[in-house]
Amino acid sequence: MNLIAQTVADGLVLGGIYALAAVGFSLIFGVLHVINLSHGIIVLMGAYLALIFSETLHIDPLLTMPLVMASLFAVGYVYQRFLIQYAVDSSAFGSILLTFGVALMLHNIMIWVFSPDMKNITPTYAFTSIKLGPIVLDAVRVSCLVASLVLLSCLAGLLKFSPLGRVIRATAQQTLAARLCGVNVRHVYALTFAVSAAFAGAAGIVIGIILPFSPADEATWTLNAFVVVVLGGVGSPAGALIGGLLLGVVSTLTAQYIGPSFPNVTMFLLLVLLLLVRPQGLLGNAFAPSR
Amino acid sequence: MVLHSKKATRRHVMALGAAVLTAPAIRSAHAQAKTLVIGGSVPLTGAAAETGLNVNNGYITAVSYINDVLGGVEIAGDKYKIDLKLFDDASDPARATTLIQRQIDEGTNFFLGSFGSNIVLPTAAITERAKKPMVQTGGGSDAIFTKGYKYIFGMFPRATRQFAATAAMFKSLQPLPQTYSVVWTNDAFSKTAAEGVRLSCDAAGFKRIEGYELPAKPTDVSSVLGSVRSTNPDLLVCVMHDQNSLLVARQMVASNTNVKLLFQGLGPQLASFREALGKHSDYLCCSTYWDENVPFKDKFFGDSKKFIEYYKTKFTRPIAYHVAGAAACIETYVLAMQAAKSTDPEKVRDALAKADYETFYSRIKFTPEGDGDELLMGGMIGQVQKGKLEIVFPAAAASAKPLYPQPTWDKKA
Amino acid sequence: MSQRPALFVAIILAAAVVLAALPLVLPPFYVRVGQLMIYSAGLAVAWTILGGFAGYASFGNAAFIGVGAFTAGLVEERFASLPTPLLLPLGLVVGGFACAVLSAAVAYPILRLRGTFFAIAMLGVCHVCAELNNNLDVLQGSLGLNFPSITPAGWDPATFFYELYLVAGVIVFLIAWQIQRSRFGAGLLSIREDEDTARMLGVPTERYKRIAFVVSAVLTGLLGVIYAHSLGYITTDSVYRDDTNLNLIVYSLLGGLGTLFGPVIGAFMLVFITQVVLARLLDFHLFATGLLLVVLVLAAPGGVLGFVKSWRLKRRYAARVPAE
Repeated sequence: MNLIAQTVADGLVLGGIYALAAVGFSLIFGVLHVINLSHGIIVLMGAYLALIFSETLHIDPLLTMPLVMASLFAVGYVYQRFLIQYAVDSSAFGSILLTFGVALMLHNIMIWVFSPDMKNITPTYAFTSIKLGPIVLDAVRVSCLVASLVLLSCLAGLLKFSPLGRVIRATAQQTLAARLCGVNVRHVYALTFAVSAAFAGAAGIVIGIILPFSPADEATWTLNAFVVVVLGGVGSPAGALIGGLLLGVVSTLTAQYIGPSFPNVTMFLLLVLLLLVRPQGLLGNAFAPSR
Repeated sequence: MVLHSKKATRRHVMALGAAVLTAPAIRSAHAQAKTLVIGGSVPLTGAAAETGLNVNNGYITAVSYINDVLGGVEIAGDKYKIDLKLFDDASDPARATTLIQRQIDEGTNFFLGSFGSNIVLPTAAITERAKKPMVQTGGGSDAIFTKGYKYIFGMFPRATRQFAATAAMFKSLQPLPQTYSVVWTNDAFSKTAAEGVRLSCDAAGFKRIEGYELPAKPTDVSSVLGSVRSTNPDLLVCVMHDQNSLLVARQMVASNTNVKLLFQGLGPQLASFREALGKHSDYLCCSTYWDENVPFKDKFFGDSKKFIEYYKTKFTRPIAYHVAGAAACIETYVLAMQAAKSTDPEKVRDALAKADYETFYSRIKFTPEGDGDELLMGGMIGQVQKGKLEIVFPAAAASAKPLYPQPTWDKKA
Repeated sequence: MSQRPALFVAIILAAAVVLAALPLVLPPFYVRVGQLMIYSAGLAVAWTILGGFAGYASFGNAAFIGVGAFTAGLVEERFASLPTPLLLPLGLVVGGFACAVLSAAVAYPILRLRGTFFAIAMLGVCHVCAELNNNLDVLQGSLGLNFPSITPAGWDPATFFYELYLVAGVIVFLIAWQIQRSRFGAGLLSIREDEDTARMLGVPTERYKRIAFVVSAVLTGLLGVIYAHSLGYITTDSVYRDDTNLNLIVYSLLGGLGTLFGPVIGAFMLVFITQVVLARLLDFHLFATGLLLVVLVLAAPGGVLGFVKSWRLKRRYAARVPAE
């Protein structure tokens, strides 16, 4: 019984982080209908920025979050407005190719700047653990989970209640109607991308604290985001959260009861099965149909 | 941890640029010195890039020392400068084989190896057919050395033989440990290494409690650690790449999973690894193939200390044993050519097969299949003591005694 | 060209003969580059049967490369005592068969998905195959699998595999061409343009899609079997590669999506650029490849063929309308 509880707890912690790492991808997919293959790179940019800021400013890595998010917000806006938008305008697959090309370039630049070495962010509380009855959890993982949940709720709130959120949702549901109502769609797209990039960066910080990272990990985080989004449904923080938690729990349960090397098998099997049974994701599609 | 890498990379790019740019210049300036081309691939991008960069830097250190400081080497009465021609294979076998072929076409006679058996083997098949030797420090799987190839040589013993020393070290501990568990990741290197651990430790009479296979890129090992806590083996042996070792160690500390000794095949030999774990890295053991205190004398650099000194004038990146192993590949080539009194690839191959040289890295002697001699080139055991990596086994090379059992993690801080 | 099929076939075969003679004059490195070009072009054409003609862009065709290669390798290992010339045909038959079974099995459910969702589901299929291959020890994915040397005595392996790829490539190309000009091909095209309307008008869309999927998978698998033999030793990482998955789309986009020559042109171009032009850039080639993609997307969104077409149209237009 303890073992099951521990496994599920581990899975939930991991899943919260998967969810945060995927939410930006999901938003871009849902609103812009762009599959952003440079998502993993943006996540890693967050991790590297957090490393730099926390070392130069001597602050806790989680406290660098506003700085990292602000920088990536700006980067994301420019990236969408002045690069991706042109690719979207020119052909159906253009954005996939373009974001892939950018991912390659940034991957190479990261190797030059940061070296191909694994890096990791070690906060002061890295080696303490929290006991909840019989369940032991790392303090780091728990603090990261909390950060993830807070951020996801913030994003959900932003989308639901703020004027910006309303405009984003309107654009996603009826682009043409939104445009007729005077919405500057390109500006909204760029803002959506910027918000997504900021959240991807925040996820990067959290990931950097938990796992060692190197430029080569980029593809892993893009793929994970794919899976989470398909599981949960496109375009909403709640969908990403459900998808992420499901993925986390399934991973740890498989690792415990089938074999530690099998989580990836079940993860992708689940992905394929769910696509077949419920292609719109568990929570359905929050925005316009993306098929 | 410190961000030293920015500088290191820029330097490394400059050094590379310089190596590429100056190579033809040297040729024209010293018309009397002949050029000896050594080719090969290194993974500078992709998953193995970290080790790839170390190997790359090792090659460059040795070559530039030989060219710039020694003014070249003498082989059979002629003075030679070495021209190093490397390319990035990006861990893609198709790319690696195509570009190796290009070098063979261009008349390169000597090759250095890439990293990972799925790259090394297909490229070795090409050099083998062209009858050009390949001396490599990145492929340890048994498959490379059991195909009957005659032109490939490795600086390490094959993977299943790498753990004889480890088991012997376990045997020397007091009080004698009884049980062990082993953890590996699902890739050719770790899997064969785990096989090696099981073979050597079972032969040494330790009782195996459990073997755990992790995915090739684990992100969470809590389920394995849960099982370790409940079965409580004396020794925990992890054979996997550095990044994954760090994940395991960190999660062990955080979840307070204690064993009497944690042995990690790769990881603690890196300064960055020890920094990341801080005080918790104390007592961790690892395989190491070289460190600055090894007693060997060297014809070119003199000894390991001088090698490190020269390395530091070229790179700011912290040194690792792969750097030394790579430099030793170049030295081995030169020594073999001097012994063969020729730069004919076939004669050099024969000289390599008979090699018994002393370099700052280790004694160089290959088995008839081409991998490093199990005893001479097999691993030493290092243990982190007070933040420094000390050699604790074999006794002849030891700089400190092994400390056993390790205190629980919370007592270390 | 579709009006005079005999002429077209003759031209293709003549081109193939010229290509087949090239190893006599080319240095071995270019023979290897040629291998890679033809292999990639073959994969891209196989991909285009479903992805280009019917508009179902698969993001997981590497699954069939891997399944084909590993099935062939495992069976050949078991029958290693057979005479060498029989091994490759045996491998091709079992590899192709395995791909047919796998694709037929997943075709029914997975082809209900469209667009991006189909692409992602195929990626999932590819990863499930790769992970199972890697984790089940009997399949030897992580330890690696040796392939027998099938090069006949007196042949240089590079040339031998070049010719083998060429034969396979021409066959794949002709099959794709035959499909394109048939009623079946027209059906696939109607699926790409508007699947629901096509079905309403009586096109058996489900059956057509399934057949195209299986044909594409089998051809991909056959090429995978040859690829594995040319490497001699493979692990899971050598065949189930995500960059292959992506490149197959890139080739078509580069050359021109939905056309027959587009993927061939795209594959030739990209292989030449990455393996020959950019090969010497030691730690720079990823960046250069990325930059190239970005520039191409922005400058020639319809691929090379699309670019040529629009340029021609422009010229024609300019010729008709005299400058004011």
